[in-house]
Amino acid sequence: MKLMGRDIPARELLARIEERLRTRGLPSSESVEVPSEGVEPRVEPFAFNLQALEEHADTTRPLPLHTHRGGAGQLVLVAKWAFRKTCQVLINETLARQRVFNGHVRDSYAQLSAEVVRLRREVESLRAAAPPPPSSSPEAPDRPRRQSPSAARPPSGKSGKN
Amino acid sequence: MAVHQLIPSFVAGDASGQAALHLQWLLRRLGHHGELYAGEVGPGLDSLAHPVSALRPRPDDLVLYHHGIASPLSSRLLHLPCRRGVVFHNISPARFYPGTPLAEALVTGRAQLAAMAPFVDVALGVSDYNCAELREAGYRNVHTVPLFVEPSRFSESCADPALRQRLSGPGPVVLSVSRVAPHKRFEDLLALHAELLKVRPEARLLLVGGYEPGSRYFKSLQRTARGLSGVHFLGRLSHTELVAAYRSASVFVSMSEHEGFGVPLIEAMAAEVPVLAYAAAAVPETLGGAGIAFDQKHFSFLAELVVEVCENHEMRQRLLQGQARRLEDFSAEASQRALARALGEEQPPKRRKPPAKKKPRVGLVVQRYGEVTGGAERHAQQIVEHLSPHWELTVLTTTAKNHLSWESAFPPGEEREGRVRVLRFPVTRVRHIRPFNALSKQVFDRCNERLREEHWVAEQGPVCPGLLEHLDTHRADYDGFVFFTYLYAPTVWGLPMVADRALLVPTAHDEPPIRFGVYADVFERPRALLCNTPEEAELIGRYYPDHAPARVVGVGVDVPEKAQPERFREKHGLRNPYLLYVGRLEAGKGLPELLSHHRALKERFHDAPDLVLAGEAHMELRGEGVRYVGRISEQDKYDALAGALAVVVPSRFESLSLLTLEAFASGTPVLVNGHSEVLVGQVERSQAGRTYTCLDSFITGLREVGEERGALSRRARAYATRYTWPRVVDAYREEMEHIVREKSR
Repeated sequence: MKLMGRDIPARELLARIEERLRTRGLPSSESVEVPSEGVEPRVEPFAFNLQALEEHADTTRPLPLHTHRGGAGQLVLVAKWAFRKTCQVLINETLARQRVFNGHVRDSYAQLSAEVVRLRREVESLRAAAPPPPSSSPEAPDRPRRQSPSAARPPSGKSGKN
Repeated sequence: MAVHQLIPSFVAGDASGQAALHLQWLLRRLGHHGELYAGEVGPGLDSLAHPVSALRPRPDDLVLYHHGIASPLSSRLLHLPCRRGVVFHNISPARFYPGTPLAEALVTGRAQLAAMAPFVDVALGVSDYNCAELREAGYRNVHTVPLFVEPSRFSESCADPALRQRLSGPGPVVLSVSRVAPHKRFEDLLALHAELLKVRPEARLLLVGGYEPGSRYFKSLQRTARGLSGVHFLGRLSHTELVAAYRSASVFVSMSEHEGFGVPLIEAMAAEVPVLAYAAAAVPETLGGAGIAFDQKHFSFLAELVVEVCENHEMRQRLLQGQARRLEDFSAEASQRALARALGEEQPPKRRKPPAKKKPRVGLVVQRYGEVTGGAERHAQQIVEHLSPHWELTVLTTTAKNHLSWESAFPPGEEREGRVRVLRFPVTRVRHIRPFNALSKQVFDRCNERLREEHWVAEQGPVCPGLLEHLDTHRADYDGFVFFTYLYAPTVWGLPMVADRALLVPTAHDEPPIRFGVYADVFERPRALLCNTPEEAELIGRYYPDHAPARVVGVGVDVPEKAQPERFREKHGLRNPYLLYVGRLEAGKGLPELLSHHRALKERFHDAPDLVLAGEAHMELRGEGVRYVGRISEQDKYDALAGALAVVVPSRFESLSLLTLEAFASGTPVLVNGHSEVLVGQVERSQAGRTYTCLDSFITGLREVGEERGALSRRARAYATRYTWPRVVDAYREEMEHIVREKSR
């Protein structure tokens, strides 16, 4: 056990409580390192969406029977199961076109996302191959500066009347 | 730049709704207007949040989307034609909910989070932990803007007395606050309680948070709890009840295995309860060394630790002091600084020196303007008339005429009144007075969470987004602003946007809303308060000790040289002596009490004076000797004042009472409501009237006024000479000059 806090004498407190536990005949704690819990990993959206579309494209397939409720919730589950068992043919017939449509959505998404991934890679490789842009200096502004009347005059001899 | 917010659900008691409201508050302080748009708007809250379908951002606007569990709003954000931002509140890891439909919604939320990353200009995490997850999900411009609490809303005075009483009893009392969900590990709290009962048999465990009574998880908790004494599932509580629960606890314990921030941890700090928490996810960061974090759920050990924290007074005191220090990191000011950094606005804008010798450009913000009845509005008009030679004035007001419904009566847009430009902005919401009064009953004279107070302000109105947008986009066109009346939405929401160059004429009196925390910025952030009386300044000081510098300025009183009482008598066929009231004729002004006193007076005395009432009537005016003469001209008013036996001011709520001063200037004594500190002050200083608090004192006061009218009249005239316009004009100019000088520095 490790106690963390700026305002407590952690070691002393730990020892005091462990002593009390020993007196009560209970096992005292052992010091362990705090588990270094990392952040949740990124979920790749294209892959996730594709997998979800694949998983759910077939509307005639039942979702796993589940309830977070006890009691009456269990009865609802039984009723759902019985409906599935007895009416699957009706379900298939009703949702057949939806199933075909979902299949097209899934395939379109797969093709478009693959294309986006390919294009992203291509953009990255082109960027990597391109020479670095010239460093911009105050002497070379992006926009043309407004010139003073004298600077706007053409250099003598080079221009003027043709 | 407008900063709008998009939020899946805006309902009372929801943490992300609270966060959005807090963010809107801070954004206003940074000078940005912006609305809330929600997928689901809670019942009655449509004055605070709009449906998502109404969101029409402009290209340079920023829309901040609050993301948590999967929401179709994430896809909507990607296609909004404006700058986009994400506020990440974290998502519970799906590993806590294997095989349930919730697991998919949680993972989908994470996929949506990653999908938005390339399309977002700025990402805000409410903790460094959340920011790490944002970076992991592919975000680049990531900033921590912590959530915060307002400690004053968790003080002992905010605790619901009934629940406080019900929860009093033996201890130690362990409290935990969160919705009942498996990853919050309520079963661990019960295990801790079982151990605690072995060493302290009278211990109690209070569990606060929403739950579904039929859920399998909750039922299993109930089964376990049945075998233990002192376990109370309190469910979802109102704010005052929540404070009562915190204030009844000896120690706050969190066993949660995942927190992206942990608002209850800082709420417990604000309520002065020591915190013990399992060091999961963002919990150690939120505690920041305060309280006690532990890394193992060794329940017998933790039970001894609870006893130690409750009974070792020296350590408990040290913990509370440490928590108070930590709480300072979660203040509105700290979050505002972080938000300004995130939006790239931490540097104050460069100030330009204004061209010399030009009149200051001043915006005067007032809820109604023009041909309207109302003391504050009349006051604003007088200020405009007297300062227009000295300032380049623009009146920023609404299209409303009726102060009860705020219905638009004036055309929106620009008009000219001599030297003064008047800009009217449309009111977008009509007020229905009955539901509003019902809401007032619910929120007055009690401690509320910010949402409830903001809701009341929105329902109070007038809601005028165009005016706020103008303050945001055209602030550079003005050197300073004068806001009139602390109470109304344009001041509450508009003043913080330009507070560094704003003067407030509060016209405040002692009424329940002045105690609302949402008004703190109104009194504390402007450059100066221009009060009407010493009583008003004192009142503000009582509720807001840190208020901006206050100066008693008041108004000037002009009386036409030739007041002809006979002309008024003839015009309205008045033969008897009369008492006069001029102003809004409505219950809030104390008219029912005055009518009842006058009725009793007529019953007792055959020679009792008549009662003449002038102004806009919003109630029925009946009774023997009661004469309603409608709205009257200025000349008629002074004719009426000069001919009255006395002027009656029946309102309890006055910040100045222009009518009193006009009566004094006309040499007419007053009979005023003695429950108003301001009116009592005016009468005591002038010695030119009497006060009443009941029928007897009304009759006595009236008799004395009749007997001493000559002397009272002389004193009234002498007192009125203090109220001259040049003195008032100089005070306003001087205060604005300070702002202009500061601005050009």
